[in-house]
Amino acid sequence: MKSPGTPQKVALVTGASHGLGRVVAGFVAKQGYALITMARGEADLAAAARDFAAAGVPVISLPGDVSQARDRHRLLEAAKQSGRVDLLVNNASDLGDSPLPFLEKASRESFLKVFEVNTLAPLALVRDALPLLIRSQGLVVNITSDAAVGGYPGWGVYGASKAALDLVSKTLAAELRDRGVAVVSVDPGDMRTKMHQDAYPGQDISDRPLPDVTLPFWAWLLSQPPMKVSGMRYQAQAPVWEVPA
Amino acid sequence: MKRAELVFERPERVFAHEPPEVRGHARDDVRLLVTRPEGHHHARFGDLSRFLGEADLLVVNESAAIPASLPAEGRLGSILLNLCTRFRSDLWIAEPRWEAGKPGPLPIEPDEELRIGSATVRLLAPYPGIPRLWFALADRPFESMIAERGGPIHYGYTNAWPMDTYQTLFSRVPGSAEMPSAARPITPRIREQLERAGVLIAPVLLHTGVSSLEIDSETVEAQAMYPEPFSVSPETADAVNRAHANGGRVIAVGTTVVRALESAWTPEGLRARGGFTRLFVNPDRGIHAVDGLLTGFHDPVTSHLALLTAFLGIERVRDAYAEAIRAGYLWHEFGDSHLVLPQG
Repeated sequence: MKSPGTPQKVALVTGASHGLGRVVAGFVAKQGYALITMARGEADLAAAARDFAAAGVPVISLPGDVSQARDRHRLLEAAKQSGRVDLLVNNASDLGDSPLPFLEKASRESFLKVFEVNTLAPLALVRDALPLLIRSQGLVVNITSDAAVGGYPGWGVYGASKAALDLVSKTLAAELRDRGVAVVSVDPGDMRTKMHQDAYPGQDISDRPLPDVTLPFWAWLLSQPPMKVSGMRYQAQAPVWEVPA
Repeated sequence: MKRAELVFERPERVFAHEPPEVRGHARDDVRLLVTRPEGHHHARFGDLSRFLGEADLLVVNESAAIPASLPAEGRLGSILLNLCTRFRSDLWIAEPRWEAGKPGPLPIEPDEELRIGSATVRLLAPYPGIPRLWFALADRPFESMIAERGGPIHYGYTNAWPMDTYQTLFSRVPGSAEMPSAARPITPRIREQLERAGVLIAPVLLHTGVSSLEIDSETVEAQAMYPEPFSVSPETADAVNRAHANGGRVIAVGTTVVRALESAWTPEGLRARGGFTRLFVNPDRGIHAVDGLLTGFHDPVTSHLALLTAFLGIERVRDAYAEAIRAGYLWHEFGDSHLVLPQG
């Protein structure tokens, strides 16, 4: 539902075909944002896009891999057409090898691939979308993980890529503050998603909540003046979401 | 803690149906049950300052109640939409109800629309874990609906009274869906008595949502909570830390104040903090920032009762409530008061 007379906001969400990305994109669409989404699975993304469009907002969905420059280019061309990016959610992530290997066994190739998707691609998207983000005084949300601070056995590759992303987020927040672009990192917490299942193949993860457990956090975050929260790292399932004084 | 432990029976005669001033009494003309390690003591609210002293700090909530109950029309006919938590002017958590005395959950479908006057409100999705609450998005600011059509949220045991009835001596910042009621009997006379006794008073802000949550989950600690905006200022954080350093007690006036202070607690003491909190204060989590509580009497199986249990343990809560029922204390927002001093 959008108020008459205000321009329609635009959200760019990666990894929107299932799990957390799908929940976030759907909720953002319900709040009246036009959506531009990307994910690797073409059929899943098309199904998700039909759900998003039920909110009555324009939806552009592009199958693609955010670690590929040509796919990011297609995403950005679509954003340029709409003339703004109010929200960029860097959600697409790569877990690496499943089952998760100890670091002593992790391959260099897997390490590089995980960093390409989880750390460098989000940064590249911010860089590419920067003129639009500045114009819209937008908010960048980088999805992180408690593995970034945990030191959990097996989570070293993924965790290192998210720890690096956390520092990228915090640094970008400081560097872009003068230009009115806000950056936060968000740890959604444990959830019953495909990625979580891949991390624990064959195990029962049905005690984890579905990703819609994070809806209250997104309702809250998207209601904050972005610059008030820029530079923060949030846990979506934590008891307190702090706004710095 | 098991849900069943928070079940207790109380007769309907303990419900306070109206504020004391309706019957020509003063607001502070209510009873005060004082629970200390040595047992329970029956007093009047006017005796409050006798139980507190120099170096003690009373912390109050500055949030003022707003008329958050909106009459709405929709597929289900005429219903009520009780606003709970404000994210921004057009997005709230809200509770659709059949009527004041008849709760939901209503058979609402996602994206169902309600009309409130000429405004349209869309119920986007249920709140995860609390199916009676919904994310509600409006085509204009809810503030205009509140101003034009809002009434006080109330329930079956009492009427809607004029909004003044729901404000306390400390109400300063509008935003609570329901009155933070613990401070209601603190009149200027009581405040003077407290000040003469050397008791300090400091404010926090927490805009409270719809009534204390009934616990659905078998394990109390697993209950989902909704968020509430709060703020603890540097001055109040200092006052709490000073009171503790000086051997004084920090007494929260109401469960809202406990939630705000505990949300600002760190192992190094209190720090200034603001944002939204869903902190569930229960026996498992414990109490860290507060030494005592001035509150009302709470319903069975609610989050407020779990909070009280965090102060006293379930046995002493049961004992206190048995005594309150036996002695005819009154429950709910216009009822009697309970001063809980777990360490004396």
